[in-house]
Amino acid sequence: MEFNKGDIILSEVIELKGVTKKFGKLVAVNNVSLSIRKGEFFGLLGPNGSGKTTTIKILTGQIKPNSGHVKVLGVDVLRNPVGVREVVGIIPEQETPPSFLTAEEYLHLVCKIRVLKDIGEKCDYWFKFLEFEDSRNVLCKDLSRGTRQKLMFAQAFIHSPNIAFIDEPLINLDPVIQKKVKDYLLDYVKKGNTIFFSTHILEVAQELCTKVGIIHNGRIIYEGPVKKNVSLEKIFLEKVGKDNHV
Amino acid sequence: MFELLKSMIKEEWRIHTTIFGGVMFALFPLLIATYSFLGCLFYPLFLTILPVKQLILIVHYLFVFFGLSIGGFGLLGREFMNRRFGQASLLAYSSRTLPVSEKFIFLNFFIKDVLYYFALWILPFIIGFAFAIPVLNISFIYALTALISVTLSFLLGLSFMFLISTLYAHIGKIILLLGLLLIIGLAIIIDYNVSVLEILPSFSFVMSPSITPLITSIIIILALCSVSLFYLKVDYPTEQRFYNNAFKMKLPFKSPFLLKDFLDLDRSEGGLAKVLFSFLFPLLIVWVILFVFLKFVPIGNFLLIFSIFLGLVSSTIYNWVTEFDTFSSYSFLPIKASTVIKNKIKSYILLNSVSAIIFVIILLWTGSFSYALPALFAAISISAYSLAVTIYLGGLYPNILLYNARILFAYILSIMPILSLACTVSLLWPNYLLLSPLLIPLALGILWLSYKKWDSVEQPNY
Repeated sequence: MEFNKGDIILSEVIELKGVTKKFGKLVAVNNVSLSIRKGEFFGLLGPNGSGKTTTIKILTGQIKPNSGHVKVLGVDVLRNPVGVREVVGIIPEQETPPSFLTAEEYLHLVCKIRVLKDIGEKCDYWFKFLEFEDSRNVLCKDLSRGTRQKLMFAQAFIHSPNIAFIDEPLINLDPVIQKKVKDYLLDYVKKGNTIFFSTHILEVAQELCTKVGIIHNGRIIYEGPVKKNVSLEKIFLEKVGKDNHV
Repeated sequence: MFELLKSMIKEEWRIHTTIFGGVMFALFPLLIATYSFLGCLFYPLFLTILPVKQLILIVHYLFVFFGLSIGGFGLLGREFMNRRFGQASLLAYSSRTLPVSEKFIFLNFFIKDVLYYFALWILPFIIGFAFAIPVLNISFIYALTALISVTLSFLLGLSFMFLISTLYAHIGKIILLLGLLLIIGLAIIIDYNVSVLEILPSFSFVMSPSITPLITSIIIILALCSVSLFYLKVDYPTEQRFYNNAFKMKLPFKSPFLLKDFLDLDRSEGGLAKVLFSFLFPLLIVWVILFVFLKFVPIGNFLLIFSIFLGLVSSTIYNWVTEFDTFSSYSFLPIKASTVIKNKIKSYILLNSVSAIIFVIILLWTGSFSYALPALFAAISISAYSLAVTIYLGGLYPNILLYNARILFAYILSIMPILSLACTVSLLWPNYLLLSPLLIPLALGILWLSYKKWDSVEQPNY
């Protein structure tokens, strides 16, 4: 499967079939099947601990499911987890950059691992775009949470991937940068790229996503398009509430 | 007072059981008691080689060293905890949020350390010894005196390191240089007169129990603690540290990971000197033990046996190069665990130039040039083998996983036979150490298995 930016081909770029992941007795992800097409801004919604982050980790080959099949951009994630991470960008929920590198050194290291060229220019662009140039020489452990989040955002997009998996990327950002990031993400999708976005902030999902899935207790309990006149919050509370009573 | 102390003990227990696993960590004291029991049981076989007095001296210095290493955690603890637990903090660092003074908190912290490590390490060690007493045919009173003297040794080490920590807070990295000079000075004094080691008051107490060495030990411990506490200075760094991009430098190597490891070690508390310090300190212990040992086994060659232990101690450099890194920083990047491990090995080889320097110094000092080659082969081979075993068992987290009783047992089982064999060969047929490079293919095989193992498992998220 090949993708060129700008191609509007409604082909599936992310596929999960019957994926289950257990941690001891806890079933974190339970027989989940999803398919996301190129150019979609997909939001995986769910309460805390519902399985969102585990799903992203499975999709990006960071953890292996107990059963099921996963493909991203045609790459079998279980067979070639590194291959998947080569072509996608990931903003993890919790991971922080290494403590004793500066922000610029960290981006430099990421570029080296991804074997990118023009590293200096790429770094300059992201420091300028996310407005944290004054922090480029600061040790990562001394950065504020918001600046760390900017850094993690930059590392995810520095290689211009076709798909980005982003886990709660806006939480620590100030409103000005939030707006900038939201516009960037919308523009990114407009260009034919795909976003798999995990959040429990429904307003953000309503604003950005074209399609959502609601995960609760590891199961997908709802999947559908986002419509401007239909409140996601209403759907979410209804579905999760109903599921709680089952 | 007791509430805070109780909470700190609970906290320490939960940290350990979270990191090392509840049951496995709980088994650790049992393992210590078992080793102590077996050691005492088999000791009569080695009585002619290592007399009781020398053995007691060695054991007491080992407990001083243990106290030093527990106290040393105070120097690096904060960084370690932040790396392991993110922004979670310890009660010891909570004086800004709790209405208690820093001195009060650190007094509790010290008492907690004493009680905790007494219960989990010292007591099991003595219990193992006590169980062997009927076989050794000695009085049970020795268990009690040993309990007191070993505890005093531990406290001497711990309180000395607390003083070093306080001095470090005031004068910074100079203390590490002073520590290095102290080690060199001690080595020279011990070389000149080995009996100087016997001035350790806890050792004097166990050799001839009386009130004087007991009081002397207690006074030294209290004095060290009081000075440390009085001059206690707790910094909550709020300043941002700035550095120019080191990745823009022209370096003789291409791997960015090597540079990262170097920066981690250099920029973390204690700088590169801490690696040197923690490397030289066990070597000094080995040096002292060998010095004493070889006085009774004159057939042994110092250079040969020292090189064997140099190989073993040098493998701990791997623990340092993995200490400030965690795979979770890479798990979302296109990189395998084995690639990170391979780069850690490169850093390990680079940092082991220190071992090479020490080898040359010992070679020149002993003048045993005829044994230079077997000694060199032994050091390199044992270093490679120990490293491979460490990587197979501990992956990128040797500092955590080797505390797991089952893994530690496997490590000891893998290392001890080789070490014993090499020591025996060095005593009886020194030139056969020229065959020690046979360990290298074995080490490479273990490394190959390690890469497969760590690529196929989910990396633990510490």
